[in-house]
Order: sequence, then C-alpha cells, then structure tokens
Amino acid sequence: MKNKYALIGPVLLLLIWQGVSSLNLIDSFFLPSPFTTLKALWAILNSGAGLNDIASTLQRVLISFFIAVCIGVPVGLMLGVSERVYRSIEFIIDFFRSTPSTALFPLFLIVFGITDASKIAVAAFASALIIVFNTAYGVIHGKKSRILAARIMGASSFQIFRSIVFWESLPQTFIGVRNAVSLSLVVIVVTEMFIGTDQGLGHRIIDAQIKYDIADMYASILLTGIIGYLFNVIFLFAEKRFLRWTNK
Amino acid sequence: MNNAISIQNLQKKVNGVDLYSNLSLEAEKGGITAIFGPNGCGKSTLLNVLSGLAKQDGGEYHLSNLQRFHFSYIFQNYRESLLPWRTNFDNISFPLQIRGKDKAFIQKKIDTLMSLFKTDFDLQRHPFELSGGQQQVVAFLRSLANEPTFLFMDEPFSALDYENSLRMRESIQTYYMEHKPTILFVSHDIEEAVHLADQIVVLSKRPTTVAEIIKNPLPYPRTLVTLNSEEFHQIKNRVLIAFQKAAKL
Repeated sequence: MKNKYALIGPVLLLLIWQGVSSLNLIDSFFLPSPFTTLKALWAILNSGAGLNDIASTLQRVLISFFIAVCIGVPVGLMLGVSERVYRSIEFIIDFFRSTPSTALFPLFLIVFGITDASKIAVAAFASALIIVFNTAYGVIHGKKSRILAARIMGASSFQIFRSIVFWESLPQTFIGVRNAVSLSLVVIVVTEMFIGTDQGLGHRIIDAQIKYDIADMYASILLTGIIGYLFNVIFLFAEKRFLRWTNK
Repeated sequence: MNNAISIQNLQKKVNGVDLYSNLSLEAEKGGITAIFGPNGCGKSTLLNVLSGLAKQDGGEYHLSNLQRFHFSYIFQNYRESLLPWRTNFDNISFPLQIRGKDKAFIQKKIDTLMSLFKTDFDLQRHPFELSGGQQQVVAFLRSLANEPTFLFMDEPFSALDYENSLRMRESIQTYYMEHKPTILFVSHDIEEAVHLADQIVVLSKRPTTVAEIIKNPLPYPRTLVTLNSEEFHQIKNRVLIAFQKAAKL
C-alpha cells in the first residue's frame, strides 16, 4: 500500500519532464527528453568507462564515509559525555558545519596533493562533523533517568557508558550517519569536477558538459541521484533493523 | 537501635521555598513504610534525597548498612528507567550483569523471580511490546534481582489494574517474608498503603511535616480475608481521617 504511493513522485516527475519536452518549452538541446536521457543512462551502464566512473565514485564515498564514522562516532560520544568540553568546542564544530566544505578543497589539495586522498579527506571531514554533532547531541539530550537508575544499582561509569549512554544516543547517531553518507556523495561528486580526476561521476558530468553531450550529462546527474537515494534506502532499512526498540 | 532509615530535621527547598524545613522519620529494619500525603508534598523528593539523587538543604539522614548493589529504587516513571534496547530478560538481569554474575546464576535467579510473580509475558521480547502494567512488573522484577536490603518504590503499581495490583501485592509479600528487605514506598492508594505497610506515614500539605504515623500490626501475609477484616477497615479509616486533616479537606 505504502509502496504504491511511493511511485507517484517519480512518475509525476517524468510526466512533467516529458510534457516540458513535448511542448518544446525548453530547447531539446539543453533539456533532452526523458527517453533520450534514459537511453544515455542505459549506455553508461553498459560501457566499461561508465561502470568505472560509478565504481570509483562509490569507492571514494565509501572510504570517506567509513573514515567519518570511525572518527565521528567516538569523538561525538566523548564530547557528549563531557558537556563542558562540548560547549568549549561547539563553536568550531558549528562554524565548520556551516562552511561549505567544498570551499576548503583548495586547502586540502595543498595538504594532500592532487590525489584521491584530498577528495576523500574533504568528504570525510565534512561527514565526520555531521556525525560528531549528532552523536554528541544524542548523548547530551539523552534521558538521564536510565543513567540514574543504573547508578543506583551500583554500575560503574564505564558500564553506564557502554550499556546506556551509547544506546541512548544511537537514534540520533543514526540520523547523523544517514546525513553523512549523503553529504559524502555530494562532496565527492563536486570534488571530482575539479582538476586531477580521470574517473568518477563528477568528472563525467563536467566532461559531458564541456563536450556538449547534454544527454550524457543529465544521465550522469540522474545516476548520482539514484545512488544517493539508494544509500538513503539502505540506511533507513538498517535503522528499522537496529532501532526497532525505539518503536516508531 | 534497630532503625534502617533515620531522618532528622531534614530540610529541602524547591525554588527557594521550603518543601519541608524539619522532617523527621524512622523506619525499622526489615519493615515496610508507606508514605502517603497530598499532591506536591514532596513524597518523591523524599525518596530522591534518601537515595542520593537530590541533595538536602539541611538536616541529616542515615541508611544503616547500605551496600553497593543492594539498593533498589523503582522510579515513578518506570518506562523511562527500563532499557528499551534490551529484551525483558536482559532488563531484569541488568543489575546482575553489572555485578558480573555468570549466565547460569542469572538464569536461575530469573526463574525464581518469574515463578514467584506468576507473570506470563515473553522474556525474549522488548519492553515496548508489553503493556504499561507488564512494563511496571519488569521494572519491579529488575529491582528485586539483586536482593536489595533497601527497596524504594514510587507508586509501584500505578499502571496495574486492580486485579493485577492485588496479585502483585500478594507476590511482593511472599518475597518480603522470605528476604525481609527494608521497604519504603510512596502510594496514592490508601488500600494499597495499608495492605502492604506496617507503618503508614501521613504527610501534611506544604510546608510538609509528618502529620501522623499509623501502625499496622496485622500479620503477613495479608490476604483478601485480611482486606475484609474489621481491623483492616479501622486502620484504613484512621489513615483516611489523618489524611483529611493533613490535606485540610
């Protein structure tokens, strides 16, 4: 029942797109019809170069996301436990969270060179901030009653941390993690548009644009969107599985 | 002196105003004390101060022979003290896991508790899959898992219907007679208070003082027959009169 409604959005989008295209509201050179675009998308999926682009983007996203989780979750937990420490560096986190991290890319290029590492680093940096913020927030705003109950039972600080604080913050951590994977994808694709990339969807988009291969450009954009959407679906599924107890 | 709990001239302020300025109270070791009083007179706060969760503003209190791992306190908000990510089994065994008890010990302990309380919910499920009353029973069993010498309860049966409340009162008496913990509980229900307690402390309105202490010498276990007895009615009536006076109804 729910799935049936989920189809309305994409179908509506395609219909509007087709309408605009059939009525020639926009020059078909700048906006190819959905059919032409989907054909180009199919071509990408059937070409070695296209698959390589997808693979290298995915690889960069997953590595940067993995680094972000490995750094962001522990740091967020530690900051959350000591609210004083969190308050003292809250400005730094909020400042960099509000700064477009892609604008910092030149800085990362200087440090890491014109390599994959600089792309991965900037995406990991941006994602880790989101995770740190959400995890710390989850710890700080977690219900205190369970901690008090455990303390009365005689639990040690470490036991309280492991058995309660960590779990209490988990729903908020998941929100951070889910946002982080989307952000990783965005930052990676944007950095792929800069110099020093020979594979990746961002590179493909900018290349197609320069070559005026507009259908291929839209197809690549569409592909990026689909990948981002699938990441979201995977994480929603994981949330349902691991956070069943929140009973939402 | 055989007092497990002694409170002398306790003072507690809330937002700068005295909740109580001079509260004194004793509770015998292995006795059951019920705290009964009008809304907002600081019943829960008293439990919080005694358990160290809140700080008093003056006076003293002492819990004799208080040992780590042997103090249990069931909050009024049982829902927010259970661990929703754990199964009911792991919730009840949490106090034992803290002490590093092995699986066999825990299993045995929980089997004993479950048979004592004749409850029928699924231990492998999670708290959110239970009714409010069943969750309260989980919180209750959890508090008994480490055989507390002190047991504090803040309206422990509030989510149970009358029938289940009677059942729990029966089970807790069985447990009590076997283990003899010192129990201090807050109640909103005169019958429940008189049913379980050997002393009922009636508190006044703010600024709160002890209005009256009524003893209930009826022997345990107090059954449904006891509930119908003349003595029971008389004690209940005395509590009611003391309450009416204290609350200035």
